[in-house]
This record gives sequence, C-alpha cells and structure tokens, in this order.
Amino acid sequence: MKSIKRKIWLLCCISAAIIVIIGFTSLAIPENVYRPKFLGLPYPLWVSMLLSVLLVVLTVLGTLVHPGNSNSGQE
Amino acid sequence: MISILVTIAVIYLGTLVTFSLIARQKEKDSKSYFLAGSKVGSILGIFTLAATLFSTFTMIGMPDFFRTHGVGSWVFLAFSDAAMVFAIISVGYYLRKKARREDFKGLSGLMAQCYKNRFAGYITFAGAFVFLVPYVAIQIRGIAIFLNATFPEAMPIWGWATAIILIILIYSEVGGLKAIIYSDMLQGIILLLIICIIAYNCVSHFGNLANLFAKVEQVNEKLLSVPGPKGLFTPQFLIASLIAIVMIPFTQPQVVTRIIIMKNYRSLFRMAIGLGVFALIIIFATLCIGMYGAVNYPDLNTADFITKVLISDQSNLVAAFAILGLIAAAISTSDSQIFALGGELRSLLTGEDLKMLNITRIAIVFFALVVFVFSLLASDQLVLLARTSFTGTALMAPMIFTAIFSERKLKMDIPVLTLGAMLIFMGSLMGIVPHAVLGLRMDLLLLISLTLVGLFSNILNR
Repeated sequence: MKSIKRKIWLLCCISAAIIVIIGFTSLAIPENVYRPKFLGLPYPLWVSMLLSVLLVVLTVLGTLVHPGNSNSGQE
Repeated sequence: MISILVTIAVIYLGTLVTFSLIARQKEKDSKSYFLAGSKVGSILGIFTLAATLFSTFTMIGMPDFFRTHGVGSWVFLAFSDAAMVFAIISVGYYLRKKARREDFKGLSGLMAQCYKNRFAGYITFAGAFVFLVPYVAIQIRGIAIFLNATFPEAMPIWGWATAIILIILIYSEVGGLKAIIYSDMLQGIILLLIICIIAYNCVSHFGNLANLFAKVEQVNEKLLSVPGPKGLFTPQFLIASLIAIVMIPFTQPQVVTRIIIMKNYRSLFRMAIGLGVFALIIIFATLCIGMYGAVNYPDLNTADFITKVLISDQSNLVAAFAILGLIAAAISTSDSQIFALGGELRSLLTGEDLKMLNITRIAIVFFALVVFVFSLLASDQLVLLARTSFTGTALMAPMIFTAIFSERKLKMDIPVLTLGAMLIFMGSLMGIVPHAVLGLRMDLLLLISLTLVGLFSNILNR
C-alpha cells in the first residue's frame, strides 16, 4: 500500500512538472492568438485556467498520497 | 458612504484591538510572540497565508495589470500560484521536518544553524530586508495614494501612510504573531467577499462573461492574447515570474513562518489546498474587474481607475467595504512582513529571551520607519515592484533548498554566491549591470546559475 502511494505521489510530481511546462509552450499561450474561445473566454485564458485548476486538483490528490500523509495527524 | 465607512472602520479597528488584547494575555516568550505557539489550524492557516500573500498588490495592482497587459496576467499570477501550492505540499513537508529538528526561530537562524556559520544567517536576513522593505513600502504607498485620491481633502499621502503604519505597529507590537493571524483571518474574509462582489457587479454590467470579453475584443484585441499590448508577457518573463512566485513559501520569512507554525502536516496540506482555491477565486475576480476597466476606463491612470471601479461605480455600502478591504489588504501584508523581519532578527540574536525580545520589538519599530520612508519614495508600479521583491528573495532558494535537503556538513560556497547574485541583481535593477546576457534575462540567469551550483555542490559533497 505504501509503495503504491509512493508511486502515485511520484506520478503527481511528474504530472505537475509536465503541466507547468505545457503552461509555457505555444500549446497553452500561443503568441497573438485568442481563438478558439470557450464560453466567451479567449484561448490562452481558458487553457491556462484549466491548467491552474488541474494543478490544484493534483495538489488535492498529492495530499492524499504524500509520504507525510501517514503521520499527518501528528509529528 | 462616509457614515457607513466610519461605522465599519470603527468596528474593524475595535476588532483588531480585541484580537491584540486576547493575544497579549497568552503571550509569554519569543516562541509565543513570534511563532504563535506553533499550533495553527488549517482554517486560520488558509486565511493568514492568503491575507499575507494577497494584498494591495492583488486588489489594486492585479486589476490594473489585467487592464493594461491583458489575460497573460493570469499565467503570471494564478498559474504560478497554483504551482506554488503544489510546491508547498512537496517541499514544505521537508522544510517543516528540518525546522522542527533545528528548533526553528526564524529563516535566518535556521540557515545559520544548517550552515554552522552565522554569516549564512546574516545573508538571509540581508536578503529579506533588502527585498521585503520595498515590497511593504509599495503596499503602504498603494493604499495611501488610493485613499488620497478618494478623499483628497482629508490627508496627504504621507498622512495616510503614517496612520496605516501606526495601526500596524500598535496591534502587532501588543499582540505578536497571534494577533496578526487573527486579524489576517478577518482581513482575508473581507478581501475575498468584497472583491467577489465587485467582480460580480463588473460582469453584471455586461450581462455575462462572454459579453465582457466580446467588448474587450472590440476595444483592444491584444488584451486577449500574449504577450499583451505592451509585449510584457514573453516566455522568459513568465518563467522567471513562476520561479520567483513558487519560491515565495520557502524564501520569504513571513510565509516560511506560516508553514512552520501549522499544527501538523494535515493542517499544512489542507492549508495548501485552501490557499490554491482562494488564489484562483481572487485572481479570477481581479480579471473581471480588470477587463471591465479595459472597456470602460482604458486611458485612466491606476489611482483614478481603481477609484472609479471600486468606489464610484459601486453602491455606497460596497464602496465603503471596498475601502476597508483595501486598507485591510495593505495592513495584513505589511504587518506580516514587518513582523517577520523582527522574527528574523530575533532568530539571529543570542542571550536572555526577554531582553532579546525587547530589542526585537524596538527593531520592529525601526523597520516600520524604514518602510515609511520608502513608501514616500517608491514608484507606483505595484505589480512589477512586487515581482522584483519575489525575484530578489527567490535568489536565496538554492541556498535554502541545499540547507533543507542536505544531511551533510554544508560549505559556505552557496551562501557566498547567493550574496554575490543578490548584489548583481540589484546592480541590474540600478542599471549598473546589464539586464540580460546573451538574450537571457539577468534574474533568470542568476537563478539558473545558483541552482546548478547548488546541485553540483551537493553532488561533490557526497
């Protein structure tokens, strides 16, 4: 169980790193491009919003499998 | 509006005084005064950290930043903040471990202990002082300018700055960190509620978000993409900003302290999640306000725009709370930072606790005076000055990370190089040293160089 949690934690870290890298590529913030829009929001905004929310979701997931989670109630 | 403002301001000040008095009864030594007993729960933790991080810079600076530079501001701050909360749970865990083992009193003291050399502590203190003072000063200046623009007959800018600094000094000197944390909670809630209400009003003005952005497209479509109308958001600028912001929890003493004083890991984790949600909500609100400003007030200066959007265009009740929210935002960030400088100094002092505590209390007054002088001289570029402060303290990250993660005896090479990097960075800000080398921004170059040296030094040490 502990090793599975460790693996998921590692996966969270790698995913967070990938999201951060994607956030600075032209995939997320292409120069002078604001289409396609989503719910009226320009492309770079809704994509970077999505990536930001994903990072927070990863943080939530990360807290559940973090190596410190087993003794999270005490220190 | 004035009568509403006076009423809520009296209630607000009364609450601050109450918090100080409650905290004062319990405060006995340096640990309770500077570290609030180190048993802060997750809810208090979320609000104290949020109120410390989101300040005048957020409430005045960010709407203006969105209005001027467009949607790339989201990447600049919100995306970076989301990455920061992930960093809090990953690195914060090890920071707490180390801090608990070394009997944490302050970041400077921790560095002195980890490097077994007081010079490492002095470098950390110097870095915090040099880069935090201008940051606090711009908070005070931002709100003083705003209040002066709103009530031109009441007081000059320096009068407002003096009043704010006096309020900060009185309740933080009396109640210590616990009083600051309680007031942060109050200020964080006011800030969150009021900015959301104003954002809602701004969007309602256009019917919905889609209409708002359609209008922005008509006014200036460059606001809808990067690098923005003024070309600010280049990949290098955004990456350097991300690094600087992600490093805040480990390099800015007021934030480091709040990570350390959480009751346990569970509280820390919950606090990180809460902070992430808080950040996204509040920055989204500033986006709406900024875009509203881009359509309605594209040519106004910052103070006039903020006065229009937060005061003139709102009902009296909302406007009164907006003014209070702005004051609260400025106070909650400034008090934490001035107080943190005191904590840093205390962590470097050795001697009888009560005597050192009194020396530090006097030093806090001195720090506040320095901030006051700077607030009269600082520029009005709130966000860019704040970013400079983040970058300056971020230069200490490799030194701090080496101390957190290394179990071996540490050499002084990284602290000395950090000092050199901070001097070069200041030189580049003053125009003595070039802003870029071979097309690479100086701040980014210094961060990369220090990180590489830190990694190599660690490998060689093994």
